Amino acid sequence: MTQNSYIALEDGQKSYRIGGETIRIFSDLDLSISQGDFVAIMGPSGSGKSTLLNILAGIDTLDAGTLRINNQRIDRMGEAARSSWRAHNMGIVFQFYNLLPMLTAAENVALPLLLKPLLAAERRSRVANVLDLVGLKGREKQHPSVMSGGQQQRVGIARAIVSDPNLLLCDEPTGDLDRKSADEVMEILTFLNRDLGKTIIMVTHDPQAARSANRVLHLDKGQFIDNERAA
Amino acid sequence: MTFLKLARKNAWRKPLRSILLIICVGIAFLIYGLATSFVDGSQGTAGASEDVLGVMNAGGRPLTLPIAYLARIKAEPGVAAVSPVARLRGFVNTERNVMALSAVDPEQILAVNGKELGLTRHLIQSLNQGRDGVLIGRALASSQNWSVGDRITLTSFQPTRSDGGRNWRFDIKGIFDGESKSTDTYFAIGRFDYVNAARTQGKDRVDTFAVRPDPSVSPAELAARIDHLFANSSAPTRTQSEKQFLSAFLRQYADITLIVDLVVGAAFVTLLLIVINTMIFAVRERTFEIAVLKTLGFSNRKILTLILTETLFVFAIGGFTGLALAKLATIFAMPALGLVFSPFLALKATVLLLALGLMTGLLPAFNAMRTPIIKAFRTR
Repeated sequence: MTQNSYIALEDGQKSYRIGGETIRIFSDLDLSISQGDFVAIMGPSGSGKSTLLNILAGIDTLDAGTLRINNQRIDRMGEAARSSWRAHNMGIVFQFYNLLPMLTAAENVALPLLLKPLLAAERRSRVANVLDLVGLKGREKQHPSVMSGGQQQRVGIARAIVSDPNLLLCDEPTGDLDRKSADEVMEILTFLNRDLGKTIIMVTHDPQAARSANRVLHLDKGQFIDNERAA
Repeated sequence: MTFLKLARKNAWRKPLRSILLIICVGIAFLIYGLATSFVDGSQGTAGASEDVLGVMNAGGRPLTLPIAYLARIKAEPGVAAVSPVARLRGFVNTERNVMALSAVDPEQILAVNGKELGLTRHLIQSLNQGRDGVLIGRALASSQNWSVGDRITLTSFQPTRSDGGRNWRFDIKGIFDGESKSTDTYFAIGRFDYVNAARTQGKDRVDTFAVRPDPSVSPAELAARIDHLFANSSAPTRTQSEKQFLSAFLRQYADITLIVDLVVGAAFVTLLLIVINTMIFAVRERTFEIAVLKTLGFSNRKILTLILTETLFVFAIGGFTGLALAKLATIFAMPALGLVFSPFLALKATVLLLALGLMTGLLPAFNAMRTPIIKAFRTR
């Protein structure tokens, strides 16, 4: 484990009790990710990818082990501290976009900014900039119900980056999209990584999407079985 | 996009449900506003004074007291002013158009009750210009469409006049407004010497003596001393404040305040059950979205605040609409109803509105707050 890893998971253990039975998701799991990496995590269903992503996002907790992100012990934080940490350091992109249906695209994007002490003009400016960045300029007032899946996912990405976090966690961001839309989404994520220096961790089943990452990890039965670093 | 806008959009996401909730809250606060206006206003207790004492026959309201008591009460230390009051009840034109006249000593009533009734030196001088002059309360004048200079006829139920008739003719010398809107002004003030001289029954007897205690004297202590003065007489007295008297008088018929409290309480309990139930379902429907907000970094406290704000939004629109309608009703209602929507009522209603809004929102808000994100995500 490198001392200066941006994300460092050591001896991570996680299990769930379901119907009186303990199901081990992973044990002694180690993970090290540098700042600016674009990591794809692949693996079969039930391999623990989503659990790992939830733990990295701080919406689930380790049973044992340590998790440091940017030298902060996430595993020691309480729920309120993890919420605050997420609000200021992390953006999350969901497979099914998870936009609030009664809000417009711009309002959905502005949600994370409600947690920051910004002036209204600054909020509007940031929302306009990120919507422009994901190619949705002019669609600010549209509701999710009238947008395609690809457009909704781009709103989801805009929402994830509007507060300018260093880390983006993406849970199957292309899983609900056709190829063309998936490629557009991956172009945006690649841009965010290469040009804006965002660290991205993406869980995916899509090998083509994984090719955009510069590192692919395969998780199976709670263990990384293969690491390959792209050229 | 602001936090309030988010709460408003959440509350408004199912317009029909929101409108029905707002109507429900609005009706509850309309009932509250009207019922409390009725209690405060038509009974006159809101405008009644704690400082003005009424000396009545201890045997009850129909019994009277001899005018001879006047001098003994006046001589009692601590009495600043005292006026005899004889009531003349009757009707104008038709028997359903009932009105009451209090026959008093004009100079003394100015000192006793002038402030509360809004009597001025000028009004009293006008009243003294003729023996059959009267001052009319603003509510009565408005309802009968009377003005200064009109000559009116009051047909008394009792007593008859010495000429055998029951028609009492009066000249309106002035109109008094009362100290505040909650002051009962649905009656007339006439001269005791005139009424007493002209009546055949109850001559030289009064219904009550209105007493203004000296500011340095406790009204309750003075009341006890006055009652002690006549304790062993043929007509023992019962002295109480104007407010106590009005409350006791109304309780002879029914405990209006209790009835109103029960009606309002039932309305609010029903309202609470309906709104809590609806809010629980509304928030449960959104468990997944709340998990999304938590994932974006909304803390439990923010979620709590968001849901409470939504509930308050519904209560604020419904509640203030209901109260506004109640206020309009008090403006347009007949003066005889005497509805009074006081600023204190508005303040009380606002506090109640906020308290009910918070109480209603707390249960669904706590549920939303406590649901773990991972569990909430599984609800999709």
